[in-house]
Amino acid sequence: MKLFKTKLDAATIVLIPACIGINYLGKLFASFLKLPLWLDSIGTCIGGCLGGPIIGAICGAANNLIYGFTAGDNITLIYALTSLGIGLAAGIMARLGFMKTFPKALATACVAGLVAVLISTPLNVIFWGGTTGNVWGDAVFAATQAAGMPVLLGSFLDEVVVDVPDKLITLLVVFFILKGLPKKLTALYETDAKIESLD
Amino acid sequence: MKSISLYVDNKTWLTGVHPFTKLLYIAAAISIPLIAGKLWAFGCCIAVSLCALAAGKILKRTVPLIAFSFTILLTIFLIHGLFHQGNTNVLFSVGPLRFYREGVLYACRIGLNILNMLLSFAILVLSTRPSELVEELEKRGFSPRFGYIINSVFQIIPQMMGTMSTITDAQRSRGMETEGSLWTRAKAFLPLISPVVMSSLINTRERAVALEVRGFGSKRKRTYLADRPAHRGDRAITICLLLLMAAVVGWRIGTCLLSK
Repeated sequence: MKLFKTKLDAATIVLIPACIGINYLGKLFASFLKLPLWLDSIGTCIGGCLGGPIIGAICGAANNLIYGFTAGDNITLIYALTSLGIGLAAGIMARLGFMKTFPKALATACVAGLVAVLISTPLNVIFWGGTTGNVWGDAVFAATQAAGMPVLLGSFLDEVVVDVPDKLITLLVVFFILKGLPKKLTALYETDAKIESLD
Repeated sequence: MKSISLYVDNKTWLTGVHPFTKLLYIAAAISIPLIAGKLWAFGCCIAVSLCALAAGKILKRTVPLIAFSFTILLTIFLIHGLFHQGNTNVLFSVGPLRFYREGVLYACRIGLNILNMLLSFAILVLSTRPSELVEELEKRGFSPRFGYIINSVFQIIPQMMGTMSTITDAQRSRGMETEGSLWTRAKAFLPLISPVVMSSLINTRERAVALEVRGFGSKRKRTYLADRPAHRGDRAITICLLLLMAAVVGWRIGTCLLSK
């Protein structure tokens, strides 16, 4: 099984907008229930797990670009890179078999969380001077700055506090959803599927 | 159904401007102050954006966009004003809190940059129909598959929101708590989101079949339903913006050379 093999047929093309919609819903539910997390990458991770790393990356990047250019939420625009990384990481881990059991899904969540942190931290420092806009994370950042730690370290901790739990919950949701999908749907996205003739 | 796009056709000249001209304006408005590196350049770009928004009669609808990022601007001012690394000179103090000159200046720079980006994007976002932008991109060789992805997002999200409110009502009527402590609210997340996600993923199968049947994979040249009327200002604005950008780059290089 090839790691980056991708099918670009109608089924995968249709999967991408559905995943972007799911991202939007996750964010909406998180704000509806007033949860202190973003939960806006559920769709990206589903895209990565079903369609592979390339589809995951497209889902992530397209998600932020579309909202940035049309819904006026252009702060998310610069985080297109982060989403791209998350989709790629989730896709690669899923292809390596890290979404099959519950403990392995936890490992995927940690990897995706760390990727998100590593990409977001420099962006936060460049555009916001280190803050993230999340209450808990910014409290940590303010504390590190008051203690005289470097901006980069403070911003890194700021992201870790928010992103790792966020991705942990995201991938748990994804794990349970993928377990519940019917086989006739997941079969559409299997790259090593073969068509056999009857005669 | 409520659309997620903020576009409203109010028949002003701004809605008639070509989407690419607006994209170029965004590029110019963001790059000019960054290249010039002066605080007043941000002010100029913000003023131009505000004038364009006012001329397009969409100034009022920009307010919620700015209000949305107001909290992040506020935290930037607080954190950098109080705790910025280079802080030495006290600017003013409110009770026990001391705001420093360096931190506030740094926060000003970031804040103006954000405000400038928000306003220049607002011009595109509030005065362009997303499908028009996609169609113009496709005419210039953008892949129609990706065009479909973008257009389809705008159809899928209102549908999903409908499903979402149905499911929220259904789960509530079965006695699920959606308000209360953090744990109660967190527990409600999975039973709320999983049915919507499941049903929308299962729907993709039917959508894919429907698209294939209507020739989605066809390789032949496509035709377009809407013809957009030419706008006279487009060429002039484009040339002005390009000249301005070139002038700023030239000015910056010039001042660098002179100072050496």
